[in-house]
Amino acid sequence: MNAPLKFLTSLRLAIVLLILIISASILGTLIPQGRTAAEYAARYGGLGPLLQGLGLTALYRSVWYVALLLFFGVNLLICTLTRLGPKIRRAFSAGLEMEEQKILTLFIKDKFKIGCPLHKAREAAGKELRTRHYRLREKVDGNGVSLSGRKKTAGFFGSDLVHFGILIILAGGVTSGLAGFKSDLALFENQTRPVPRAEFSLRLDKFETEYYPDGSVRDWKSALTVMPGNKSPLSRTIEVNHPLSYGGFHFYQSAYGWDWDSARVEIQARKKSDPSYLKKLEIKTGEKADLGDGLQILAARFIPDFIIDEKNNPSTRSLEPNNPAVLVEGWEGAAKVFSGWIFSRYPDFTNIHGDKEAEFSFELNRFTGSPYSVIQVARDPGVGFIWLGSIILMAGLFISFYWSPQEIRMRLDDFQGKTEIAAGGILFKNRETLQAEFSMIMDSLRGLK
Amino acid sequence: MNESALFLLAFILYILSAFFYFGFIFLKREKAAGIGSILAVAGLALHSLAAIARTVESGHAPFTNMYESLSFLAWASILAFLLMERKYKLQKAGPYFLLIVVGLMALASSPLMPKNVTPLVPALQSYWLWLHVSVTLLGEAFFAVAFVTSIMYLAAESRERKGRKAKSSLTAERLDLTSYRAVAVGFPLFTLGGLVFGMVWAYKAWGSYWSWDPKEVWSLVTWFVFALYLHTRIVMGWKGRRSAVIAILGFLAALFTYFGVNYLLSGLHSYA
Repeated sequence: MNAPLKFLTSLRLAIVLLILIISASILGTLIPQGRTAAEYAARYGGLGPLLQGLGLTALYRSVWYVALLLFFGVNLLICTLTRLGPKIRRAFSAGLEMEEQKILTLFIKDKFKIGCPLHKAREAAGKELRTRHYRLREKVDGNGVSLSGRKKTAGFFGSDLVHFGILIILAGGVTSGLAGFKSDLALFENQTRPVPRAEFSLRLDKFETEYYPDGSVRDWKSALTVMPGNKSPLSRTIEVNHPLSYGGFHFYQSAYGWDWDSARVEIQARKKSDPSYLKKLEIKTGEKADLGDGLQILAARFIPDFIIDEKNNPSTRSLEPNNPAVLVEGWEGAAKVFSGWIFSRYPDFTNIHGDKEAEFSFELNRFTGSPYSVIQVARDPGVGFIWLGSIILMAGLFISFYWSPQEIRMRLDDFQGKTEIAAGGILFKNRETLQAEFSMIMDSLRGLK
Repeated sequence: MNESALFLLAFILYILSAFFYFGFIFLKREKAAGIGSILAVAGLALHSLAAIARTVESGHAPFTNMYESLSFLAWASILAFLLMERKYKLQKAGPYFLLIVVGLMALASSPLMPKNVTPLVPALQSYWLWLHVSVTLLGEAFFAVAFVTSIMYLAAESRERKGRKAKSSLTAERLDLTSYRAVAVGFPLFTLGGLVFGMVWAYKAWGSYWSWDPKEVWSLVTWFVFALYLHTRIVMGWKGRRSAVIAILGFLAALFTYFGVNYLLSGLHSYA
């Protein structure tokens, strides 16, 4: 074997690579991944750009990390393949040239004489081994017979199966990385949008949030209809943990929200000078409604979770309607005569500034933002490899730990019409199980007449 | 009897069990180990009832927050220890192991862990919750057994190297072999529950089987450390000290995957 190949097939290399992968992976959990350059600058100062340049901020997708994994894969493949040939030979061709002395050096062994002729003993021994599922090989020489029975031969290949499983999983990962795709599709109720890279569209029929009695969220559900151009549409409701599969694509309930930018609000207006004046105005954000006397009210802006940010500007803390507020403006022709925020939860905080402010009081009665559901569309051709690899990996682990190959060797010699038996057992992993079975076989042969 | 009463009784039984096991190693009374073991079995039975009561009360798997999951880890650890103790005569590991279990139970009962039953968030509503968490934690429980026997190995080995004879039949060599056997159970369980079931569930819930979330990465790190343990041991013939140190590191990685990731790093596995 030449030097580079020897290097590639060495277990030492595999161990060095494993340690490198472990260290790099840990590093990636210590540095927050996939943030903006500004965040890294704030966190690490001048080191920020360096970390980004080294790929440490998107470590698991960086060229060197992926290369490390692939190199490990190559090492694993070569290691496994070069060891496979000798292993197959060892597993399937047990030597039959056995001397009594050699057999009796085995850890599990026995030797005794029985009063039956050789041919009968041979038949009985063969039957004993076969009924216990040993693969039997025999060889006659001199005045005796050598017998070798093996079973659970698959146990030799457990670790190879594990390695092939890992390689298939790696191949799946590469396939996912190269050919997989993922995209978020935000849909309002009754809206239809084409699915990217697919020949069909998706419609959201209904989106709803279910709550537990204590008010916490139980589930988000989207009733979807897949609309292929030429086939009949398919309707299905998806929820968290229950995606829809269609035509190689998967649709997941990913997020939800409301379109607050065009929220509809109902504002109740009263005139302080006129107790009989009461107007309920339904306005869409950005539109105006009449207050009378040539005065109009504009719903200039809606904020679902009102907060004053660090720059002293009105802003939203979240997209949840926790502290809804609407900015209203009064217009008389082309002149703005008042403006201010009205809060749904805190009517007393209403604060209107302007010439005509004294005349009116406002309350925010109701508000509705159109709900939308975000559906994640994903296609992952690598996933089949992952499941196949996982099954092989698990089978391999089970076999390597709990399916040990075992062999029972016997030398039967004719001794004046009787038979002398020397036998031994070779365990490849679990001694106890073989010891028990070996004793049972020996006991039954001892009983032969 | 309700869940918290059953839990408390189990806790008390584990403490008593630890006392008897310590009695066994300090007073050298064989009988004490037997009583310790019986107390641990009784504790396990009550602890199981507590978990069932909690499941009935909450209507979901008994490992959805830190209190439940710590309690389940303690339960799995006792189970793993009792199985290994029966099979490999590990009575001498009893006191140290029970100490870990008592620690887990104490942590679970501390006021830091909210114990109220909360409804299940949408992301956890799946039968994969049962499979993923229970099998993973059971695997980690066997790693805990390997951790204890590896530390005991290091102590026994340095004692024997100084020429002092092993104090009991649990020699350094047997401790080394027992660590391997515990890993031989824990590793396939951890692979199946943590990695394989985890990937299947992630694919169903998040749309991708692997997201390089810190908890995923740390599970992989744990897995690689034990892979290292097995290869250096089986192929390169490392036994004894070096092997024990890798098994200890592997358990610490598993512990960090379980605890540290939640408290020190943020990510998708933010519930437990």
